[in-house]
Amino acid sequence: MTTRDIGLVALFAAVIVALGTVPALPLAFGVPITLQSLGVMLAGLILGAKRGALAPIVVIVLVGIGLPVLAGGRGGLPVYAGPTAGFLFGWVPSAFVAGWIAERFDRPENTAAVRFVGLVAAAVLGVVVVLYACGIGWLALVTGIGFSKAFFGSLAFVPGDVAKAVIAAIVTRKVGDAWALRR
Amino acid sequence: MIDGIGETGTTLLHRLPAGGKLAGLAIVATLLFFVSNPALLAAALPFGAAAMLATGRPPAVLLHQIAVPAITIALVGLADLLLVDAETALVVVLRLAALLAFAVAVTLTTTSAELADTFERALAPFDRAGLVDAPRAALTLTLAIRFVPLVGQEIAAIREAQAVRGLAANPVALAVPLIVRILVRAERVAEAIDARGFPPPRPDRSRSPTSPMGGAPSPSQMPGDLHDHP
Amino acid sequence: MERGCLTLVRPLPKQSPPLLTRGRREVEMSPSEPPDDRRATNDRPMVAQTIVFSEVDVVREGRSALEAVSLTLAEHRIGIVGLNGSGKSTLLKAIVGLVRPTGGRITVDGRDAIAEARAVRATTGFLFQDPDNQIVFPIVAEDLAFGLKNHGFDRRETAARVAAALDRLGIGGFAKRRIHELSGGEKQLVALAGVLALGPKTVLFDEPTSQLDLRNRNRLEDVLRVMPEQAIVVAHDLELLADFDRVIVMEAGRVVADDRPARALAVYRERAA
Repeated sequence: MTTRDIGLVALFAAVIVALGTVPALPLAFGVPITLQSLGVMLAGLILGAKRGALAPIVVIVLVGIGLPVLAGGRGGLPVYAGPTAGFLFGWVPSAFVAGWIAERFDRPENTAAVRFVGLVAAAVLGVVVVLYACGIGWLALVTGIGFSKAFFGSLAFVPGDVAKAVIAAIVTRKVGDAWALRR
Repeated sequence: MIDGIGETGTTLLHRLPAGGKLAGLAIVATLLFFVSNPALLAAALPFGAAAMLATGRPPAVLLHQIAVPAITIALVGLADLLLVDAETALVVVLRLAALLAFAVAVTLTTTSAELADTFERALAPFDRAGLVDAPRAALTLTLAIRFVPLVGQEIAAIREAQAVRGLAANPVALAVPLIVRILVRAERVAEAIDARGFPPPRPDRSRSPTSPMGGAPSPSQMPGDLHDHP
Repeated sequence: MERGCLTLVRPLPKQSPPLLTRGRREVEMSPSEPPDDRRATNDRPMVAQTIVFSEVDVVREGRSALEAVSLTLAEHRIGIVGLNGSGKSTLLKAIVGLVRPTGGRITVDGRDAIAEARAVRATTGFLFQDPDNQIVFPIVAEDLAFGLKNHGFDRRETAARVAAALDRLGIGGFAKRRIHELSGGEKQLVALAGVLALGPKTVLFDEPTSQLDLRNRNRLEDVLRVMPEQAIVVAHDLELLADFDRVIVMEAGRVVADDRPARALAVYRERAA
């Protein structure tokens, strides 16, 4: 970790927190999205696997310290034991997976299409697949409502998260055009 | 936003060591998690309330602290009521409410510097084992706390500018300038932190006789101590 | 420490006239007299370091930011001016090893700016343009303690120095304030207090007034006037430099004028036109 890495991880953690306070944006097809998980996707896609996973770890520690850092001002140790904690801890492997895939596809030698599709795939696999696996598994265990209920209850959020994955890929490409990303 | 962070003060809770308070909170949380008797959980609530009052903060501040999390707890209770049964809902709500009270009491009486110090000390064994760099980890945490309001201001400024251009609800128009600013700021911040002499010398690791212990400034231990520190 | 290996001669502090190597026009200059008694200095002894650039080149991202710069900086108040991209910030950052020369070397009181960066930074503070990038902790006193901790001061000494530095700038009441509730000018003073708390001999200022309103700018000017530490100031605010001992004009990575303020600033105005 260079001092620069420390700055990047801390700032992306701050971005994840700060995006949680932005009011939900209504998307064209009526699904409102909150931006906090967009922050997690961007941490993975922009910083790469290792630093990308560290940013949500910092947020999780901040939650434990009791700061109201999650969307809606939630925070404090109760969150760790809460029914949605899997969606919080799941940020770490999901940012890691998204970053790992992004590192492999978003390279200057690839065509623009490959880079873009790779980034969308990275965000979808990381944040939708990995995150939902963690979140739904935990939800089913803690609340005792059973896997299928937890699964179908969470499906409502999938379209919004896929939309966010596309947004994250667009943002990463545009930022990458302006700034050489060193993952 | 992050006004929940503690301030220095003179109450007993303030004077307790941060590590002790956090350990206590963890123990209470664990106990509450294993208790599923509503009467016992309800009995924990007055203690939580007492802990909150012991912070010496006015009740208005305390209410402000718990307002938003309380809504979340109510929603969780509602979900349990609909999906499971009334008793589970009652247990979950009481448990989370008691935890919230204790957590607020701890965070209101512990400053961010104390927390960072505690965090650094807790990581010390891992640091010695070479697994984590404790001073770096603690700095990352503090920086994140410091930057939350700043990033919040930047988001507000970008949204204002984009609203003028009719892009208020466009997440790409928000995120692209935000991330570029963040990347630039990270460079500047790293420079400033280096200029302020980070990382501190670590007398415990370098066992050479020249490494000074304690009080006096020890400026010259780390030659070539520049950006690229492993 | 490798003080012994230095081959550079340490010039006599203050008496030596500013060296001018690349200047094409302003070779004649009046010797700068030490202006010791002109200022009130908070009853502290005046201090200064001798900073020597020998044939320093810096190439950044394929562009030459400094070209064969040789300078000896030993005066108490030194201003650096130049258009954007002229290399003045690079010059300043190179003194504390934040920028690595691609050729030549820089020493501060005989210590190498790269190999002995830690030692150099212990005696040479840096005030950045945007205090938000410099302030690390969310609460004022905690932030001041950060630099002191990095330089190995113990708890008691740290507390004393934090209080003294805040008092010195007239912001003793700020100790427990939250950074994000301060104004830009107040943040700048806090950042400066963080620098002064370390007891530096020299403070490097990178466009310190560019984000300040008039009142805070004047406040900073007052601080600069009385501070006993050596100050090297990069500024677009030319008035700030009017009573300095020496002003250096940079252009395209080179020193093009190096003189008393009135004459150097005249050159700068002419070239900028």
